[in-house]
Amino acid sequence: MKAISTDGLSKHYGKAIALDNLTLDVPENVVFGFLGPNGAGKTTTIKLLTGFSRPTAGRAWVAGEEIGDGNLNVRAKTGLLPDVPAFYEWMSGREFLHMVGEFFRLPGTEIKRRTEELLELVDLKKAADRRIGGYSRGMKQRLGIAQALFNHPKVLFLDEPTSALDPIGRREVLTLIKQLKQHTSVFMSTHILSDVERVCDAVAIINKGKLVTVSSIEALRAKYARSTFEIECLEDSTNFAEKLKHISYLSDPEVVVESGTQLLKVRALDIQQARSQLPRLIAESGLTLSRYEFSLPNLEDIFVEVVNGGYAK
Amino acid sequence: MTGLTALLKKEFKEQYRTHRFLIVGAVFALFGIGAPLLLKLLPEIMKLSGETALVQMPPPTAIEAFGQFASMMGQLGVVVAVMVAMGAVANELRHGTAVATLSKPISRAAFVTAKLLAMSFTFLLALSVAALLCFVYTTWLIGGASASAFLQFNLLQGLFLVFCLAITVSFSCLFKSSLAAGGLAIAVIISVTIMSGLPIIGDYLPGKLVAWGASILSGPAQSYWWAMGVTVALTVVAVYLGQYALKTKEI
Repeated sequence: MKAISTDGLSKHYGKAIALDNLTLDVPENVVFGFLGPNGAGKTTTIKLLTGFSRPTAGRAWVAGEEIGDGNLNVRAKTGLLPDVPAFYEWMSGREFLHMVGEFFRLPGTEIKRRTEELLELVDLKKAADRRIGGYSRGMKQRLGIAQALFNHPKVLFLDEPTSALDPIGRREVLTLIKQLKQHTSVFMSTHILSDVERVCDAVAIINKGKLVTVSSIEALRAKYARSTFEIECLEDSTNFAEKLKHISYLSDPEVVVESGTQLLKVRALDIQQARSQLPRLIAESGLTLSRYEFSLPNLEDIFVEVVNGGYAK
Repeated sequence: MTGLTALLKKEFKEQYRTHRFLIVGAVFALFGIGAPLLLKLLPEIMKLSGETALVQMPPPTAIEAFGQFASMMGQLGVVVAVMVAMGAVANELRHGTAVATLSKPISRAAFVTAKLLAMSFTFLLALSVAALLCFVYTTWLIGGASASAFLQFNLLQGLFLVFCLAITVSFSCLFKSSLAAGGLAIAVIISVTIMSGLPIIGDYLPGKLVAWGASILSGPAQSYWWAMGVTVALTVVAVYLGQYALKTKEI
């Protein structure tokens, strides 16, 4: 069974298209990154999948339940952390979690046990009896994760879970998310690519409401492995860069200055040929080589290229 | 109505912790005490102004004290009810707390109903306390108070207050701005009150309950059971429309 499945899911606001024909399958027990720049349609998708918004067209299933008006079975099987989690600020963290347990109609002893367990998990035990109004943004985010996990959800939706956190808070939340996939499928929207590289097993990239690609991170790297060669010489390499523009298995040679050093970057369209021929070309140019490096693209490079349309699907 | 009990518990706790019980109770208690007290002290206040020769005040009566109370409840009481209820759902939509609650297996119908039930309880309790204080003070300061007529008046006033709360909560489901909800609710309440003065149709409108209550205080009065029935029906319709508005709303 798929954790999430959508078929032609679309959302229009008048003439504006927030989401266009999204067809997507998310397997169980993975952390699935849903990537896109601001305004790409990430939050709209989460709102559609959690039933807070109605699709203009298409259908969606979450944890085996079709999303539709008033289907409370879905809510019993899912958890949601909105991009800006809001709480009743007059309550304490412990009271809030207790109330959430009552919403799931769990027995009193189970509510108490789960509340303490979650407070421990998100490291809020010491602040559990303080008013939520006095919590920091990071504490609220952690409380948001705790409330979303109360029912041991089969599918957990996290909308930009680390966007407002400091580096320590981010690391804590990401560690927590990594632990969750043993029991839960996590659907995480974000535009912070380093987070995706750290915790996600697979990603979908969305841009202007359209799905651009879906893949595991390894497969994405392999698929878009137009690797870059970095060449550092003692002399000016501008003329050499011009010469490389006419080589068929290379593309986009450019000379950049990084930390005061001139660096020639060139992409390989055919890696094998580039690997065998490029050292010869450098030798023939008469330049004195001081560094020669071959690097695979990181997720940020791929993301920027995919979003800018540099890579065809 | 999935989750109604848990939501009611939360609503009552919120009313207690945010001092809403205390504030509404104190304001209504002030109306209850203030009406007979003001009437009793008015001649003294007039004397202090040095205008005794011009104004001859007749001794105050219980009917006048109750009438004063009815006037306060009918105007200021309704305004307080609208002000408290206008943000009930709108504020939760605006601040995002509605998402926290409605992402759980809680029906939107229960979300609206719990708010109206909790607020109705608060206002009816506050009205009961205010009425009791008014009756005790009137008996003590003025005398000649009729418990039966005053009880009937308060039952009608209580029903009208619940109607006002239902209208306001219903509008609160439509807007993220509590001011818009409150403004529209006030407009509707003023309209039904004014329209109750119209011949024939006015006898069937909620505003007639206020006039009926006031006339009961003065002596035997004509009953307007249809107005009562229509008020109950409109309250139910308002709650249903509020629930429907929230169900169809994209949050």
